Amino acid sequence: DILQWPQISKCRSPEMETFSCFWTAGNFYNLTVPRILQLLYKKSNEEDWKECPDYITSGQNSCYFNASYTSVWTPYCVQLASKNEVYDKKCFSVDEIVLPDPPVHLNWTLLNTSQTGIHGDIQVRWDPPPTADVRKGWITLEYELQYKEVNETKWKELKPRLSTMVPLYSLKTARDYEIRIRSRQRTSEKFGEFSEILYVSFSQIGIGCDHCTEEVEFPWFLVVVFGVCGLAVTVISIMLSKQRRLKMLIFPPVPVPKIKGIDPDLLKKGKLDELNSILACHDNYKTQLYSDDLWVEFIELDIEDPEEKNRASDTDRLLSEDHLKSPSCLGTKDDDSGRASCCEPDIPETDFSASDTCDATSDSDRFKKATEKEEDLLCLERQDNDESLPNLASTDPQRWQQNTQSGNNNVWAPFEDSAESSHLSVHTQISNQNSLTNTDFYAQVSDITPAGRVVLSPGQKSKLERAQREGCAEQNFTMDNTYFCEADVKKCIAVTSHEENEPHVQEQGYNEDGYFTTESLTTTVANLGASTAAPPSSEMPVADYTSIHIVQSPQGLVLNATALPVPDKEFNASCGYVSTDQLNKIMP
Amino acid sequence: MSTKGASLKGLLLVTLLVSHMLLTKEGVTSLPICPKGSVNCQLSLEELFDRAVKLSHYIHFLSSEMFNEFDERYAQGRGFIAKAVNSCHTATLTTPEDKEQAQQIHHEDLLNLILGVLRSWNDPLIHLASEVQRIKEAPETILWKAVEIEEQNKRLLEGMEKIVGRVHSGEVENDIYTPWDGLPSLQLADEDSRLFAFYNLLHCLRRDSHKIDNYLKVLKCRLIHANNC
Repeated sequence: DILQWPQISKCRSPEMETFSCFWTAGNFYNLTVPRILQLLYKKSNEEDWKECPDYITSGQNSCYFNASYTSVWTPYCVQLASKNEVYDKKCFSVDEIVLPDPPVHLNWTLLNTSQTGIHGDIQVRWDPPPTADVRKGWITLEYELQYKEVNETKWKELKPRLSTMVPLYSLKTARDYEIRIRSRQRTSEKFGEFSEILYVSFSQIGIGCDHCTEEVEFPWFLVVVFGVCGLAVTVISIMLSKQRRLKMLIFPPVPVPKIKGIDPDLLKKGKLDELNSILACHDNYKTQLYSDDLWVEFIELDIEDPEEKNRASDTDRLLSEDHLKSPSCLGTKDDDSGRASCCEPDIPETDFSASDTCDATSDSDRFKKATEKEEDLLCLERQDNDESLPNLASTDPQRWQQNTQSGNNNVWAPFEDSAESSHLSVHTQISNQNSLTNTDFYAQVSDITPAGRVVLSPGQKSKLERAQREGCAEQNFTMDNTYFCEADVKKCIAVTSHEENEPHVQEQGYNEDGYFTTESLTTTVANLGASTAAPPSSEMPVADYTSIHIVQSPQGLVLNATALPVPDKEFNASCGYVSTDQLNKIMP
Repeated sequence: MSTKGASLKGLLLVTLLVSHMLLTKEGVTSLPICPKGSVNCQLSLEELFDRAVKLSHYIHFLSSEMFNEFDERYAQGRGFIAKAVNSCHTATLTTPEDKEQAQQIHHEDLLNLILGVLRSWNDPLIHLASEVQRIKEAPETILWKAVEIEEQNKRLLEGMEKIVGRVHSGEVENDIYTPWDGLPSLQLADEDSRLFAFYNLLHCLRRDSHKIDNYLKVLKCRLIHANNC
């Protein structure tokens, strides 16, 4: 047997007004008589040990200190001693040893039951321990409720709370429950004793559902497992599938930087020459080319070419034919930037402001045909020209180069060579133009051809251009009811309009068959008409730029017009001929 | 990628915040304050007492925890309890020691006493916050608790002065105050002595904060709820 000394087991204050100390006597046979053991106490500010005032109230082996002996925040020391020996000693203050009594008067009421009657909610109520003076605020208590089914072993705990009532939700009505509560002082850690057990039985109040089937619990575990597996399988199958579209939809590829036309492999291999040529094809690196011949005047918009997008940009073609030579350039098929204007018979080569109503005929041809007044033939030929143009567009740029370089003479080639001659003439025209004016990198669009080509006008007027004014006025239109070819009309109007150099040209969408739509004719004529209203002698400064209003696919641009009166669209939707009456309306 | 990084950071921040909230057992919930810019915003006495009680409870909770941590970390095996003389510097203030005395004392006197105790702890708390950092390998929790207690004590003092201003009919007594001279003991060279000084101080802090918490609750129940809390 182990010798056990008498020990002070605990000291406890239930309400912070009194306290008791308890001890064990040990197995000293000589000391089993309680009276021999003494409990002495001392307050911290006292010198002498005093004996316990009450050995009885708290039971055997206890000492009870009533309110008069209790000072809450004063340190006490107690010691268990017999006459000569001190067996145990403890020092504490009363506020540290507070362990409240259990709550009393537990009861429960039914809140509601579920629709099936299987579950129910109850409200549990109790009173604070009677000894604790909660009302005056001397002690603040916290309560912890525990409950379980009758045949379970483990208690479920609720969080400690200050209130003396708590609801319990979703209890099974078919089962009976046990509830117990204990309390503690709010800032302490230790709880007091448990209260008596409260029995909850739904059948007592007639709600119990004895023959209710057990609710099948949702198989969460299975759902989660199968869900995860399915998801994994789906993801893997998508990643491995060959269906690129699906893969791209769910796992979109991260875009890598890419420069159009440049092969990253070239960069890796370090082939700078090829790279330079590729870069050179793209727009921007042509500063050295300013001094070269600038075939700026005409931009070819070839609709029949489905590869329009892949062609080198217009500025390429504008800038120089040198780069058109480059084999790595994406195909620049159409070199017919030098379409001659056919409006000016007198100075065919230098007139660039007039609308390019004719596509491939040289100025001379047009002039001849105009004077011959073979309007129909002209238009037909023009149509032919339009169709033949794409063929020209596909000519070898080398050949074109040769042609242009071969001579600056005006070569009145036969019609089938009109393309070449037009190239030549245009070349000469442009070169002449160059000598007369400062060529700019940008040029204003002054008109649009029936083929959808854009006619640019140079930024500055040339003296030669003024000479063009007279040309159209001399022409006489037969004022009969025959239709005029719009080309002729445009010629004259275009000439007069050139004086003012109205920069505003309303462009229309490209017409498939090469003819002006009536709308386009209307507006252009209107523009021109409007311009003719102004005094011919005035020379307005030319705006070099026109803002683009709409870009209609690759073939059309709609430029901003500035307050031009647009006449009613009276034209028949014919092939584009203008009737005399209509013409009269337009012409001043 | 920057947005991805930012969203990751945001997620981490939220996770940390949530975990902090879950880990801290108790916190001071912020009460609705007077709207900014309001000149004559007057909280009711009940509101003031509510806040004061919350603050005092929080301070006591922190002190209690800090003491327990310190005890666990440094006091084991050193026999501090046996040596504890437990003479706090505020012992000179005669405060009610039991319920009877607390009920008999006039509420104005009690308020003044509370103010006195709070003022007396102003200085020690400041030094506690600074000196506790010099303890070798002091846990972070003790450090921030010391700082927090010092802050909250200031706030409680302000609140109490407001309450006293409301409740007091006469002049506010300012002379209830005990100076503290324990700073040298916190700076002793001998580690044992120094730690014992800290132990004492923390013990006294826990006790005094409990006193103040109790007095305020008694006052609140008496003045606001007419002894029917």
